[in-house]
Amino acid sequence: MKTIFRSTAIAAAITFASLGAGFAGALSAQETRDRSVDPLYKLDPQTRYAVEILLDSARAAGLPYGLLESKALEGITKRASGREILTAVRRVHRTLIESRSALGPTATADELTAGANALRAGISTSELSRIAASRGNKSSLTVPLIVLSDLVRRGVARDTASLTINQLIQNGAADDDFLGLRHNVERDIVSGTDPGVALLSRARQLPTRGPPNAGPPNAGVRPEDAKF
Amino acid sequence: MARQKLPATAVAVSLALLTTGEHAVAQNASEMEARLNAGRAASRSSSLSPMDAMAVTPSLRYSSSNFRATTAGSAWLVGQRWQLGDAELSTEINTGSVNGIRAEIQTSASRIRVDQANLSQQLDLVGKLHLIRENSGMWLGSGIVKPLRIATVSNVNVSSGGIWTRYGPATIRASVTTFAFTRSAANDTASSGSAVAACPAAAQQSLGAEAAAVPMATSAASCRRESRVTDLEGGLRWEHRLMEVSLRGGQRFGHRFDVTPASRTWGSAHAAIWVSSQLAAVAGGGREPAQPTRGLPSRNFYSLGLMLAYWPIPRGAVLVESPANLVRAFEMRAAGVALQRVTARIGRVETVEIMGDFTDWAPVHLVRRGRDLWELLVPMGAGVHQINMRIDGGKWIAPPGFPSIRDDFDGEVGVVVIKPIVKS
Repeated sequence: MKTIFRSTAIAAAITFASLGAGFAGALSAQETRDRSVDPLYKLDPQTRYAVEILLDSARAAGLPYGLLESKALEGITKRASGREILTAVRRVHRTLIESRSALGPTATADELTAGANALRAGISTSELSRIAASRGNKSSLTVPLIVLSDLVRRGVARDTASLTINQLIQNGAADDDFLGLRHNVERDIVSGTDPGVALLSRARQLPTRGPPNAGPPNAGVRPEDAKF
Repeated sequence: MARQKLPATAVAVSLALLTTGEHAVAQNASEMEARLNAGRAASRSSSLSPMDAMAVTPSLRYSSSNFRATTAGSAWLVGQRWQLGDAELSTEINTGSVNGIRAEIQTSASRIRVDQANLSQQLDLVGKLHLIRENSGMWLGSGIVKPLRIATVSNVNVSSGGIWTRYGPATIRASVTTFAFTRSAANDTASSGSAVAACPAAAQQSLGAEAAAVPMATSAASCRRESRVTDLEGGLRWEHRLMEVSLRGGQRFGHRFDVTPASRTWGSAHAAIWVSSQLAAVAGGGREPAQPTRGLPSRNFYSLGLMLAYWPIPRGAVLVESPANLVRAFEMRAAGVALQRVTARIGRVETVEIMGDFTDWAPVHLVRRGRDLWELLVPMGAGVHQINMRIDGGKWIAPPGFPSIRDDFDGEVGVVVIKPIVKS
């Protein structure tokens, strides 16, 4: 009798463990399936409804609405609450509208995205407009705006950062110049240099490649700030 | 007397099951954790009277990337008096992972106090070699256990091996452990949980001619007998949001003198539900195996209580090595149209994951290609992309070397600009 009981107990334990493993695997597979079919399925109904309204609004306005959905998915994976996700998506939606207003209707989706990131980093729409006004007809603002957002996040004063980037655009700096500048400034900051000083110092070392556009010289830059 | 320690042991077992496991492996940051279990625990064994008492079990754990120390104690309320129970101090030193192989040495000094006359002290020294892959691993271990206050048992040689694997939130493990030791006293009834005797004379009295016919390496003068016990054990740990569940079961193999029918199989379950970030309701129950080296019989038990957890050093606040500093290089290079090869040089870690808009923010694992080289091909077309990485399941960070922005969720995200491939 005891043997029967023991065998039954062992069989039950093995079955339970197998079922547990199978259940966990099934959950994982189900999650992958659900995500590919309906990416926002993990949002609570209220948040999802509000996010979908924002998505529709962005789509109707011709904004890169994928960025909004991406932000919601990012929040889900990072285990943010529904309220935090909705706040973040609203912020992206608002900054995209402001970004297009500042950069103009001809701005590409990448530029709008970079502009929205810069606005969320604390750059004002007027500063963004000044930068847009100083760009060349063919030059993209994507990389300069990404570098601008990064510099502000690293502690460079917003005015200093935007004026410097603006000046470099006018000097015809290329994307690689901006990325190299960001890299060097980051290294200087890690070494203990003041972020603003590091930026101005490194920016002076960049060669002037000539104005990239036919726009007004030093557009949006105060004469006292045009140091290099 | 011996029964007094059982509730605390039961709680200690629940505590150990709740605070150990693969989820605690590969912490890069220094971390201090204090826990306090309090509740009701009961146990019942065939050789001892039933026990039911309040028990309190505090513990303190410090861990860093290569070192871990744990101290735990217990006290239980018997009648109107609190009695001090078990105590344990253990340390673990490991080499870190090199090509997925990690060596570690575990030491432990533990003490079980029943009363002044019944004190069990034990020293443990175990070495282990781990082979760790992305979601699975195996280990081989060997060591020695020295019982200090049990005259009936010599030093115990312990050999173990096991495997584990993860399926999503579940971790399954199986292990084989062999204990080899010499019994040297006349009677050893406590460890076997029955009247089975170690010496031939007593054995004959208790088991008759059948027992006497069993070959034993005994000598009449010292009454010694070689014993070998093998435990086959399996376990499942499942974590989902605020719930943690652990299941464990096993079977013991050995001679009838060492393994009585009552201690041949065991199984237990424990669960914790976190009701806040620092408070959990814990419950457990089942059957625990006998511990021959400690002189403890097998027993049934249950425990029910609350667990308080406190982290004096906040997780991640005091970093030995911050995850970003572990990354010696992180690069993305075009590997075709709309395809990027991600490579990272990160040593002494077990897993590296990335995610971004290009994966719809679903984490994907990089594949280890060498001692510290990780690699993955990801679909990523021209344009601006956002990317996060994490190491050993830690916090999502922006990959070093890339511009980064705040992510709106109290973190950072890297920004990657992929330029279109220009055909010459």
